[in-house]
Amino acid sequence: MNLFVAAFGFGLVSMSVIAIAAVGFTMQFGITNMINLAYGEVMVSSAYVAYYLNKAGISVWIGMVAGALFGSVFSFLLNRFIYAPFMRRGTANLGMVIVSLAVSLMIANLLLPIVGYYPVSYQEDGGGLIRLGPIALTRDQFIVIGIAVVLMLAIHALLTYTRLGKAMRATAANATLARNCGIPTGRVIDGVWLITGALCGLAGVVAALNAGSFVIGNGAAFLITILAAAVLGGAGQPYGAMIGAVLIGLITEFSAAAWSPQYKEVVAFAVLVLVMVLRPQGLLAKRGALAAAG
Amino acid sequence: MKTFHRASRMSLPLLAAIVLAGCGGSSSTGGGLGSGPLLVGIIAPFTGADAGLGPAYYAACLPAALSINNNGGVGGRQVSCQKFDTRGEPADAVPAANAMIASNSNLMAIVGCTSDEASSVVPIIDRAKIPMFCMTGQSEFNKTTLKYFHRLVPADVYDAYAMVGSALYGPGHSPYHKAALVFGNDIGSQAFVKPATDAFTKLGGTITINQAINLAPGTSYRTEVAAMLQSKPDVILTEALGAAGTYLKEVKSQNNGQMIPFLGTSATIDPVWFQQVRDAIGITDFLKYYQGVDLGYTFSGPAYSEFITNLNASVSQFADAPKYKQRGSTLHLYDGIIMSALAMVATNSADRTVYDPKIIDIGNGTSGAMVVNTYKDGVAALKSGKSIRFVGAGGENQFNQYNNSQSGYILVTYDKDGNEVKVGELTPEQTSTIINAGGA
Repeated sequence: MNLFVAAFGFGLVSMSVIAIAAVGFTMQFGITNMINLAYGEVMVSSAYVAYYLNKAGISVWIGMVAGALFGSVFSFLLNRFIYAPFMRRGTANLGMVIVSLAVSLMIANLLLPIVGYYPVSYQEDGGGLIRLGPIALTRDQFIVIGIAVVLMLAIHALLTYTRLGKAMRATAANATLARNCGIPTGRVIDGVWLITGALCGLAGVVAALNAGSFVIGNGAAFLITILAAAVLGGAGQPYGAMIGAVLIGLITEFSAAAWSPQYKEVVAFAVLVLVMVLRPQGLLAKRGALAAAG
Repeated sequence: MKTFHRASRMSLPLLAAIVLAGCGGSSSTGGGLGSGPLLVGIIAPFTGADAGLGPAYYAACLPAALSINNNGGVGGRQVSCQKFDTRGEPADAVPAANAMIASNSNLMAIVGCTSDEASSVVPIIDRAKIPMFCMTGQSEFNKTTLKYFHRLVPADVYDAYAMVGSALYGPGHSPYHKAALVFGNDIGSQAFVKPATDAFTKLGGTITINQAINLAPGTSYRTEVAAMLQSKPDVILTEALGAAGTYLKEVKSQNNGQMIPFLGTSATIDPVWFQQVRDAIGITDFLKYYQGVDLGYTFSGPAYSEFITNLNASVSQFADAPKYKQRGSTLHLYDGIIMSALAMVATNSADRTVYDPKIIDIGNGTSGAMVVNTYKDGVAALKSGKSIRFVGAGGENQFNQYNNSQSGYILVTYDKDGNEVKVGELTPEQTSTIINAGGA
């Protein structure tokens, strides 16, 4: 029994990591209509930015901020100089997916000779165990959970209470109508790339910290879990992605406790397939934060 | 716009399904050595969970090619090395092997073929009649009849027995009686589980838990480690390449900063593995709690000196090459390539069907054969009409009728700089006891 309680605690950490990444990904898609398969590579690039800072003696937490800034700027530039020109020329959705896949491969292969194929780790000891009954997590893991909670609340506040958030929702619902109503959709979309890019960068550092060590190839692995959470929750729905993250995070840890660890991803994705069969639009497709206001 | 938007949203699950689903020549004939460049193919994982393996084999080929090329080539033909990435997956390995063979008629030898892909690529290479030197320990090759297959390392079963010996009889600790098995869920790692379990339990030990862990990058092992610690083992027996750092760091974290001893297979004698685990748990705990097993290399002598000279000279092509100076597989595959080249010179033929059988003669030596340690000396001896036995950087070879060359194990650890240090060896009696218990 204790193992399952412990697994619940570990699940909280996993779902926090997934939630930060998945919410950024699904917002990017929901508002800009862009399925960005380079998201995982931006994550891992940001993780390397934090790694090199950390290697130079800078705290990993400052590195995390730097990673978020890097992810933000990198994503913004990717959109401005690669994705947006293709979109302006009317490239179809599937074409844009292929473009993002190409970008993903380019980033990974450009980085490989720079960062090498050796796994690297942050110089961070985790801060010692903190026990809450049978749940024992490190200080860093509690911080990761805290960061995720704060970010999810901030995203909720952004989308619900701010002019930018409302403009994002309007752009997501109908960009043409939003533009005709005076909303500067171009700037809104720039803002979306900056914000979701920051989430992406921060998620990369958090995921790398969580995994203990990372390599350039982690980008693809990150993306699969993020896609799963985003699809499970309802494509383009930030709250759905949060729920998807909770489900995937907890299911993987519980299945590792109950069965052989090698099946934990199998179980998580079996649940994903089951949900897709029963509810193809995802859990929150009709009532998401990005649905039209009012 | 709305319709467009909706359509694209519907496409995301479809795309996710696609992405998830995705996760998953002839030689010269006749007499003479021919002309034109020769190629050694390295078919191994260069990406994926076992991406650390391929570079070790590439680091074998580069110095071998230099050693050959600096001494006149193979009858004047220069040797080069080319990587063929299997990603450690049979599904990717088969097309990689087919493409390698179809697009290169000048392959003189192929090296690599780890346990990840050997079952699928070895028959393909054998059908193409290309001599190969494989780093697989799978038991299916213990009595193989494939003529072009060569193995310079013992089967995994003996690696597993050596680990059990280290646990029961190793120096610096009282015998461990409760072991946790933590192996990757790949084919190569799982090959150790049954022989280790059989031998350890029949000698009175208990396997507290057997974990086949997912080696996918970015995986965390918190629940797995909690379960392992709950089973209260004395020692962890492990080969989980790519995941070891993450797993062991979690062990230290959940165990209040205390490590428990961990014993690795010979594949853990690897600079990538060393760096990963050292960075994860710190060098002090690494040196205190780790022991491994390896084949009994001397890391000295003229063959090794020649290897080191050429390995260091390979940095222009592969900056990390010198890191593999004590990697057993690097030494053996270097020897395999040199033996192939010497076999070509000995038979004066680039016909692989002609020089392939000669490789065994050169490795084992025939009666009255002159022992040589370098390609240069081998060519000189052959040109003077002598038969030769090549004893290379990895030591003597003793091929049996199944083209398997066997040798004994030693117990090792690392020093702080990542160099292998011998800490002991198993007596013949201990070895015999373990092998009998394991039933090999």
